[in-house]
Amino acid sequence: MKQGFRQSMAWLHTWSGLVVGWVLFAVFVTGTASYYRAEISRWMQPELKREAQVTPEALAAAADLAVVHLQTHAGAARTWFVTLPTPERPLVELFWRNKPGTPPGHVLLDPQTGAPAAMRATRGGDFFYRFHFELNLAPLWGRWIVGICAMVMLVALVSGVITHRRIFADFFTLRRDKAAQRGWLDAHNVSGVLALPFHLMITYTGVVTLALMYMPWGVTAAYKGDQFAYFAETGQITKARPAAGQPGTLAPVGPMVGRALATIPEPLERLTIVNPRDANSTVVAVFEEPHGLSHEHPQVAFAGTSGDVVEVLSGGLKPAAKTFTTMVGLHEAHFAGAALRVLFFLCGLMGCAMVGSGLVLWTVARLPKAGVATGFGWRLVHALNLGTIAGLPAGIAAYFLANRLLPLDLGARAEREVWVFFGAWLAVALVGLWPAPRRAWRGALALVAALFVAVVIVDVATARALWDDPAWFLGFDAALLALAAGFALVSHKVARFAAPRRMRRVMEAPAAAPQMGRA
Amino acid sequence: MTLLVSLGVSFLGFAALCLSMARHHQAVWSGPPDRHRTLTLRAAGWGLIALSLAAAIRFDGWNVGPVDWLGSLIGAGLLLIVVQSYRPRALLWMTPVAAAIALVAALGSLV
Amino acid sequence: MTRAPTLQVRAAVAGRVVLAAGGGYAVAGLATALLSLTLPMPRAEAVTTATLLSFAVMVGIVVVVFAARSLGRAAAIIGGLALVLGVALWFVTGSLSIGSSPIGPSP
Repeated sequence: MKQGFRQSMAWLHTWSGLVVGWVLFAVFVTGTASYYRAEISRWMQPELKREAQVTPEALAAAADLAVVHLQTHAGAARTWFVTLPTPERPLVELFWRNKPGTPPGHVLLDPQTGAPAAMRATRGGDFFYRFHFELNLAPLWGRWIVGICAMVMLVALVSGVITHRRIFADFFTLRRDKAAQRGWLDAHNVSGVLALPFHLMITYTGVVTLALMYMPWGVTAAYKGDQFAYFAETGQITKARPAAGQPGTLAPVGPMVGRALATIPEPLERLTIVNPRDANSTVVAVFEEPHGLSHEHPQVAFAGTSGDVVEVLSGGLKPAAKTFTTMVGLHEAHFAGAALRVLFFLCGLMGCAMVGSGLVLWTVARLPKAGVATGFGWRLVHALNLGTIAGLPAGIAAYFLANRLLPLDLGARAEREVWVFFGAWLAVALVGLWPAPRRAWRGALALVAALFVAVVIVDVATARALWDDPAWFLGFDAALLALAAGFALVSHKVARFAAPRRMRRVMEAPAAAPQMGRA
Repeated sequence: MTLLVSLGVSFLGFAALCLSMARHHQAVWSGPPDRHRTLTLRAAGWGLIALSLAAAIRFDGWNVGPVDWLGSLIGAGLLLIVVQSYRPRALLWMTPVAAAIALVAALGSLV
Repeated sequence: MTRAPTLQVRAAVAGRVVLAAGGGYAVAGLATALLSLTLPMPRAEAVTTATLLSFAVMVGIVVVVFAARSLGRAAAIIGGLALVLGVALWFVTGSLSIGSSPIGPSP
C-alpha cells in the first residue's frame, strides 16, 4: 500500500464496503421497515379492532387480569413483562423470562376477558425489528455480527467521504448517459452524500444502542462490571431490589397502576414485575417518553408485597446520560410525527440505495473486457448481490403473503411465516446463479414487483371483511403498490444500466458454455 | 404542517445553489450564468438554507427543530436532484409552487 | 490494486486488517477504561462519556492503520498508543488486577 492517503482510503472504502455490504443491506432494509413496525403488526393482524380510548380503570383491570394469567402459567418465572392496552392496540401482551436455559414465554390476551386473544398468530413487525439487530440468529451472535458490520460501515462512511473528490461539485449530479459505471457511481454518491448526516447518525447511534455490550470496559473499570448499578446511577432505570429468598405475596397491581397514572402524565406503556413470588418483589410502571428526542421513559417503582412507591424516575438526567438517551432516541425516532417519519423512512431507503448501488458498482466496475469470461470472485459477488438486493424484498413480500394465505389454525403458524420469508429469499437468491447476469437482475426484480402486487390482491381478496378502518388498510396497500412500482422501475432501468450495449455481448458470452439449449 | 415550511424553503435554497453551477444552469437556461448571477444565486441558496433552519427552530424548538431541518433538507434535496436530472425545466414552475406552499404553511402555523 | 497481488501484499493487507480490528478495539477499550476512571465528572457520567466516544476512537484507529505508510509503522503507532494507555491505566488502578481489561494482540 505504497500510495497516497486518498488511494489507501479508496481501497479501504471499496473492500470494507464489500465485505459487510450484504449484511448491511439486510440491516438497512429491516431497520427502515421498523419505522413502521406498529403499522406492519396491525396490518398483519386485521382481526384487531381499535378502540376510542382506554380508561385508567380499564388499564387497572387489564393489569389484574394479566397477573391472574401469569400466576397460573408463569409462577416460576424470574420476571414478568406486561404491555398494557392502548387505543391503537387494545391487547394485553405478556412476556416472561424463565430461569436460564428455559425459553421465555409469550401470550396475547383480550383485556376484557383475560382469555388468549382470538387472532392469527404472527410475529408481525417485531420480526423485522429483531432481525434488524439480531439477524434471526442467537441474540449474542446476531448482535455481535451486526455491531461489527456497523463499525465497518462507519469506517466505510469516513473513508468514502475522504475518497470522494468532488462532493460539492457533484452534489446535484445524477448523470443519465449510457455509461453504466458512471450512472451507478452517481446513484451511490447522491444517496450517500445527500443523506450523509442520516447515515452517520443512524450508524453511530445504532452502535450506541448496544454500547455496553460492545464496549463494556468502562463499566468493568468503574463498576466492577455491574451494568445494573451503572444504569441505575445514570438515572435510566430504577434501582435493583435483590430477591430476599423468602416467599411473598404480590399485592393487587390494579391500585398500583392507578397510583402510577396519577403520578406521571404520559401514557402507561408496560409493567415489569421482578421476582414476583419473593418477599422483595418489585413492580415497575414504565411510561412512554415525553415529547422530545430523548429515549427516556419515566418510571415508578413499587414494593410488590405492600404496593408502596419506592422510587420515581422522571427526567433530570445529567448531560452525558442525556446525550446517550438522545442518541438512542434519534435511532428509534419514536418522537417523529407522521411527516418526519416519512422523511426518516426516505432516508432509510436512501441508505438501502447507497449500500445496494455500492455493491452493484463493485461488479460493474470489474466487468471483464470483451471476450473474457467472468472470474469466480465476480460471479460470487454478483450472486450474493442479487440474492440480497432482490432476495430480501422478495422474502418480505412472501412473508406478507404467508400472513394472508396460511390457514389460521395451522400449528406454529408464526414460525411458518418466517420459514416462508427465508424460503422465498433463498429461492430468489438461486436466480443469482443464472448465467446471464442482466436477465437474472431483470427477472428477479420484476418478480419482487409482482410479489408485492400479489400481496395487495390477496389482502383485498381475503381480509377485506376484517378491516376495521378500510381507508387505513388501503393506504398500507397503496404503499406496497408504490414499492412494487419502484421495483418494476428499477427492473426496467437495469436493462440499460447493468449491461449497456457495449457490454451485452460480453456478459452473455460466458453464459453460452454451461447453458444448453438457451433460446 | 410546520415541516412543509422548512421543506419548501430548503427546496428553494437547494434549487438556487444548484442553478448557480454552470452545468445545471445550462440545463434550464441557455448558457452558463455570468459571475454576478452565480454569486447572487449562491448567496440566495445559503441564505434560504439558513432560513429553513431558522424556521424549523422557530416552529419546533431547539430540540426537534434541527432534526426537522436535516430531514427536510434531505427530502427536498432528493426531490430536487430527481427533478433536475430528469425534467430540469420543471424547476421553472416548481420553485414558485414551493415558495407558495412554504408561505401558506408558515402563515397557517403563525396564525 | 494489481490484478494478481503477490503473497507479500496479501500478507500486508491481512496484517492491517488484524491490526485495525484487534489493535483498534484494544486501544478503544483501554481508552474507555482509563477515561471512565479519570474524567473529572460523576462516575456514571464519566463511564457514559468514555463509552460514547470509544467508537469514534476505534474508527480513527482503523483509518490510521490503513493510511500508515507501512504495516510496521502502523503497528508501532498502535502498539505505542496501547502501551501508553495501558501504563496510565495501571497507574490509575494501582495494579493490573483488572484482569478482564481488553488486551488485544500486542504487535
